[in-house]
Amino acid sequence: MSGIVIVGLFDAIDPAAAAARALRALPLPEGDVTTLSPMPLPDGAICRDPRGIGFPKFTLVGWFVGALAGLGLALATYLLYPLFTGGKEIISVPPTMIITYEVAMLGALAGTVIAGFREMGLCRFRTRLIHDPRIQEGKILLCARVSGDEQAKRAMDAMKTAGGTDVRPEEGEL
Amino acid sequence: MNGNDHLARTDPGALYRELSRSNLPATKRWFLGVGLLAIATLWGIGCFIYQMKTGMGVTGLNRPVMWGSFITSFVFWIGLSHSGTLISAILRLTNATWRAPILRGAEALTAFTLMVGGLFPLIHIGRNWRFYYMIPYPNARGLWPNLRSPLMWDAVAINTYLLGSLTFLYFGMIPDLAIARDHATGWRKKFYNALALGFRGTHNEWRRYHIASTIFAILIIPVAVSVHSIVGWDFAMAKVPGWHSTIFAPYFVTGAIFSGIAAVVIVMATLRKVFHLERVLTVVQFENLGKLLCTMSLLWGYFYFSDFLTVWYNRNPEEWEVFRSYAGVFLPLFLVMIGCNFVVSFPLLCMRRVRRSIPALTVVSILVVIGMYAERFLIVVPSLARRNDPFIWHNYFPSWVEFSIMAGALSMFLLLYTIFTKLFPIMAVSDIQEHLFHTTDRKIGEATVESIAMPHDTGKGGHG
Repeated sequence: MSGIVIVGLFDAIDPAAAAARALRALPLPEGDVTTLSPMPLPDGAICRDPRGIGFPKFTLVGWFVGALAGLGLALATYLLYPLFTGGKEIISVPPTMIITYEVAMLGALAGTVIAGFREMGLCRFRTRLIHDPRIQEGKILLCARVSGDEQAKRAMDAMKTAGGTDVRPEEGEL
Repeated sequence: MNGNDHLARTDPGALYRELSRSNLPATKRWFLGVGLLAIATLWGIGCFIYQMKTGMGVTGLNRPVMWGSFITSFVFWIGLSHSGTLISAILRLTNATWRAPILRGAEALTAFTLMVGGLFPLIHIGRNWRFYYMIPYPNARGLWPNLRSPLMWDAVAINTYLLGSLTFLYFGMIPDLAIARDHATGWRKKFYNALALGFRGTHNEWRRYHIASTIFAILIIPVAVSVHSIVGWDFAMAKVPGWHSTIFAPYFVTGAIFSGIAAVVIVMATLRKVFHLERVLTVVQFENLGKLLCTMSLLWGYFYFSDFLTVWYNRNPEEWEVFRSYAGVFLPLFLVMIGCNFVVSFPLLCMRRVRRSIPALTVVSILVVIGMYAERFLIVVPSLARRNDPFIWHNYFPSWVEFSIMAGALSMFLLLYTIFTKLFPIMAVSDIQEHLFHTTDRKIGEATVESIAMPHDTGKGGHG
């Protein structure tokens, strides 16, 4: 998703929303217009996130993998290291349930972290990412991925007209 | 941002500086404090090494009381750990609007109390260098952990909770680490840059971050409950008078949450005082924590009475002897427990004046923590000291080595927490900013009230 990205700083939500509306009218796809903000903004306040959020299913996958691991550990223990009591091996169901449950929860937590990080696009240390630390002063950075000089010019005009400052093209990924 | 929101009233830069006072360069006083804590911790470690080299005879443990102060401390510290992550998760899920300033401090409390609490079984096992026997791996000795033992359930549950709590703490901190990165210079910038993992605050990142936080909160609550249930089952599974009770798991969880909330109050009051966070940690947070503490005091009293009532009515001689010992050699501790946990604290917590007074609430919380330690001791020791055969009855008192190790553990916790507050954002800056952003004043008639916007986000993407 690299390419030219037009960025502009906005002091308030309303002008940024107006600029985003103008960008979408160019037309730019919804997924190519996004914001960088110091706090989460409601979906649709300025831009929308068209991508579905898929990582919760990895929580479930992690849970099942963990449950299988826990169950496997408990069963393997009974099979490989039988504990004879009164002449019989004991296969205890409640401890198996407890171990399975704990390892399943660990798997679910691990699945959420790994898939969450991946879907959030974190840990891309070697990639040049669009960023402006001035968002920590309460500003909003509106970003639009464009193709071609003509679209870039129109996007910059749209941002400037809506009140954006320091509007500029940047090279990097969103 | 424009005047329609509260960020206009609170300059984000100034807000960050206010919330990150703990990260200012260390002063001589800080180094002095850390030095003293490090010395106390080293003294505890030294005493542990002495115990390891000399043998368990240096402790006050002797037949039949083979579980003493170390196991008491283990149960106590694991109980304290229930404060942070569990409360934080519940407050996140219920969208409690007053939660933001207490989240980070409480979550860090969980992480460090778990680390300290988890050391005690290792200190207690005697041949400490063989702790790795608990880890299941194929080996030439033909040894394998016995998963039927509640102590192994403990090891699995505590490790799950520790990993989950650390992840919960770290994941919640990522946006704040990104804010810190953008404000920092020098080595701190590199440090925060590495830990923030490239989080920038894009719309997509925020949406996924929120959903992941919610999932974490949902997952961590049952894990927290299971951990202290299992600690309760460590005792309840044994046919020891006073321990073999079906009520132990919920009773332990209740006690853990009770002591945990008290610990959160103490930590928050300390952070507020030391880092001048009066504008952020207001009476509202303390009053609400006081209400929770009051509820838990009542619940604790209810569970304790329920446990006592069945033994009293049944008069099973073995069990009744344990309770009778509360009126004998253990009377001072029993009075401390009942007084601090219920008789004194509950009426005080019912008073609005006490809940709204931060010093008074802190004093009550300290009483609760002391009372809960006494309660843990009275669960562990009298049952062993008054086991079935009167011929082997024996009273137990911890030795100076045990006191030193316990003091070292407390110092270690304080040391870890102090270093954490120096290096990491102790306030959840982004959560506080978000709360301020959604808050506005609204006039209803002649009154002006705080109004909080609750965005509807279904998390389905698109036009959710």
